[in-house]
Amino acid sequence: MEKKSQLDYSLGSEDQLAWKKKYFFDPRGIGFLEPGIVGLDDATMSAYNVAKSSYQIHPEVFNMEYLSKATKLDKKDIIKRMKRMYNEHLIMYVMNPATQVYGYGLYYWFVKLKEGTSETEKAELAQWFQNKDDICTGYKCKDGDFDFYNGNHMRVLDNLLSTVITPCKDNPCVEFVHICPIRRDIRESHVNMWDSTSETFRDNIWGTGQLEKLAKMQKLLDLNDLKIFKALNDKKPVKDMFDFKVLHQISGLDENDMLNGFKSLVEEKRIIVPLFHLNFPKLGLTEKMFVIKMFQTTPSYRKAEIVDDLVAIPEFNMVKEFSDAFYDAVCFAYNEISDIDALRKKISSYAEVEEIKESNVDWMFRRWVCRLDEKNGFWEECVFTDDFLEDRTDKNSPLYCTIAGKEDKK
Amino acid sequence: MKIKAPRKYVIDNLKYALNPASIAVVGASRYDGKVGYKVIEGLNKYGYKGKIYPVNPRAEKVHGLKAYKTVKDIPDEVDLVFIAVPAHLVKMILEHSVAKKAKIVVIATSAFKEIGRGKLQNELTQYCRDNKLPLIGPNLVGMGSPFLNFNCGFIPYLPVKGHVAMISQSGANLLAALGTSQMLNFGMSFFVGLGNKADVDFSEFIMYAANDEHTKCISVYSEGIDSPEAFVQACNNVVAKKPVVTIKVGGSKIGNKAAFAHTASENTNTDDAYYDKLYEKAGAIRAETWEEFLDISLALGLQPPLKDDNVVMITNGGGSGLLSCDHFERKGMPMRELSEISLILSLKIRAYMPMFGSPLNPVDISGTATPKNYKGAISQAVCDPNVSGIYGSICPTSVTDVAAVTDVYIEMYNKYKHLGKPFVMECQGGQECFDSIIKLRKNGIPAYSTAEQAVNAIVALRKYGKIKEKF
Repeated sequence: MEKKSQLDYSLGSEDQLAWKKKYFFDPRGIGFLEPGIVGLDDATMSAYNVAKSSYQIHPEVFNMEYLSKATKLDKKDIIKRMKRMYNEHLIMYVMNPATQVYGYGLYYWFVKLKEGTSETEKAELAQWFQNKDDICTGYKCKDGDFDFYNGNHMRVLDNLLSTVITPCKDNPCVEFVHICPIRRDIRESHVNMWDSTSETFRDNIWGTGQLEKLAKMQKLLDLNDLKIFKALNDKKPVKDMFDFKVLHQISGLDENDMLNGFKSLVEEKRIIVPLFHLNFPKLGLTEKMFVIKMFQTTPSYRKAEIVDDLVAIPEFNMVKEFSDAFYDAVCFAYNEISDIDALRKKISSYAEVEEIKESNVDWMFRRWVCRLDEKNGFWEECVFTDDFLEDRTDKNSPLYCTIAGKEDKK
Repeated sequence: MKIKAPRKYVIDNLKYALNPASIAVVGASRYDGKVGYKVIEGLNKYGYKGKIYPVNPRAEKVHGLKAYKTVKDIPDEVDLVFIAVPAHLVKMILEHSVAKKAKIVVIATSAFKEIGRGKLQNELTQYCRDNKLPLIGPNLVGMGSPFLNFNCGFIPYLPVKGHVAMISQSGANLLAALGTSQMLNFGMSFFVGLGNKADVDFSEFIMYAANDEHTKCISVYSEGIDSPEAFVQACNNVVAKKPVVTIKVGGSKIGNKAAFAHTASENTNTDDAYYDKLYEKAGAIRAETWEEFLDISLALGLQPPLKDDNVVMITNGGGSGLLSCDHFERKGMPMRELSEISLILSLKIRAYMPMFGSPLNPVDISGTATPKNYKGAISQAVCDPNVSGIYGSICPTSVTDVAAVTDVYIEMYNKYKHLGKPFVMECQGGQECFDSIIKLRKNGIPAYSTAEQAVNAIVALRKYGKIKEKF
């Protein structure tokens, strides 16, 4: 048997992955551990749920001791600033749930509009995406190879095709839709996810001087605000994440139960990554989206190595690896506070890279399932539209999600 | 949590649960599929005239109304706080409600004692009691009244106006009753879901209903009565004035467990016999099935009690008469022959039937009976001083004008209702009988599609007659 690459990109222990030894090739290139399923209202989620439901009025659910030490700011000042940042819709507390459970996929897809499509037509399509509750994350792009980049959690691919992709493709303005199943979710909103290398999981990555540049380029957040924002997302044990006494005071739930429950999800099972999202378009930031296509002869492990190289670049605030798609990876970096040319040059330096497509993201519809749509009064409205037990191809099915398709009726 | 007796401050504040001048809806949502949206939608749709304050720290507006971050931020007084947020936020909202000096809170939220969070539920309840803030719920569907145009909860429609106060632990069965109300003209004065009834107890709503001008029958669906002394005391206080009908479910072995998982009802050391005794002591009338519960509630809400067993059944169908005879006997109230009730009536009533009719009881005026026959027999019977109640039956033969006979019963009822003798009807058949039942009910006569249902209603009216004598 051919010797494997020195780097093992598989998740899980040897015992857990023993089943792979039956095969010459690892199934799908990478074997993976199914982390299990946890209901959003499960008791283990309590700490997050209490914080998510009350941080808007009680920012002190977060560990003010920790934040104060990290930022060298007074606790009262931090609370005041957090309230302002929330009230001005600059930050939102969210979480990314692991979706690599077999049969529960994460699909992203790029949309390109036909030449000559008017801004009005594009805006109408943007509104459709904005209101489409099947879509958990979505971006509007300009000046480049794509016009939209959206993502869905779906267990059944036909459900995705039926409710989202096909109606989108059928739009006369749409040139193409390219689906990119996620192979590895490595970094989102600056924070490393479960598919990063093990020891870097939950690292909060910013490039040198980026926060300072951001503080200077706009007036909504000063450097202290940004320090708070960064400290909120910085990797720390779950026990230091919240003030569990405050969580208890708000909810009446047991402090230890909340700690142990959430710890098991975040630190042990690695199912959840809680974090604050920065409403970057409101700050005047745009994202450069590099969509990387490698030669098809590139073996999977090599693709993974290249992507891991790119992840080491701190200016990339989002990195994902695709499979079974036209493209192999996507990386985001802020245009205004990154050296975009250097990043492009770096990506181009790999012989395996056949082509880089680019666009600039100037608007974001949702951060995971939370709407960012303050213009229409839906800021932080959370809609989870998993297709569990649903056949969305059958519009007459009684199990068909009542939310999906609603926007079509409007 | 147990109470020993109905509490005055709670009873006094229950008016804010059904007729508040202002409501804070905590968890008011911008999405029409969510409970918090439905609450405000229901309030608006059914014509609530008071002030509505959506509370949602994420939203600027809900339903076009300014949203507040917390109850405390509402600038005006708040009578009722309706809570439709996850359980982990309820403690904080109760604290805000106390700070706001709200009059009453309603917690629709589930996931308390019924899933093992008994300690938390008790702590929250005690907090409310310490602050004299009545708490309805948690784990309930809502409440409302058709007289007050008030639909507060996630309730699809209001019942038709009527006289039954429906106090239910189960939201699903409450909704079933509302559906029945719409379909079968089962009139209600108000309805309320109590859910886990952590604080506000059956007994307190019974006391409230006693003073409600539209309520004539108080119906209580329970999965467990954990404050029996208070229940007995409340019933004893009201049954001389208004009947209390009860149904207790979860008596079976597995039902007992299901009742705990549903509304955290504990039934330790209780059984059916225990509840029989409890209801007897209370002076409440117990129904065994859901159908019986609704049927007898309807009758008691519409009709006066039956003072003795002298009921005359007038029918054009011998079969329904026989079904009735047997069921009266099964229920321990055998029918008396007409000659025993009134010898002269048995002779007089002959004039309104053909020679093959039967002047026994049931009085079978035959399948060829005309509206005139019915009118004569009914008027003759109701005017007889020995007759205490009329039980009418219509069998739709090809020569029976069901609609006309229905009108005759209504006419006779209206003409003689000052005599205080209850009228109950049975109309078994097809669409014409269904229409007849609805029309009779709309005109204040409890009417049913089977003989057994009608008999159950009459037996309940008699039971209430006895209870009134006792209390």
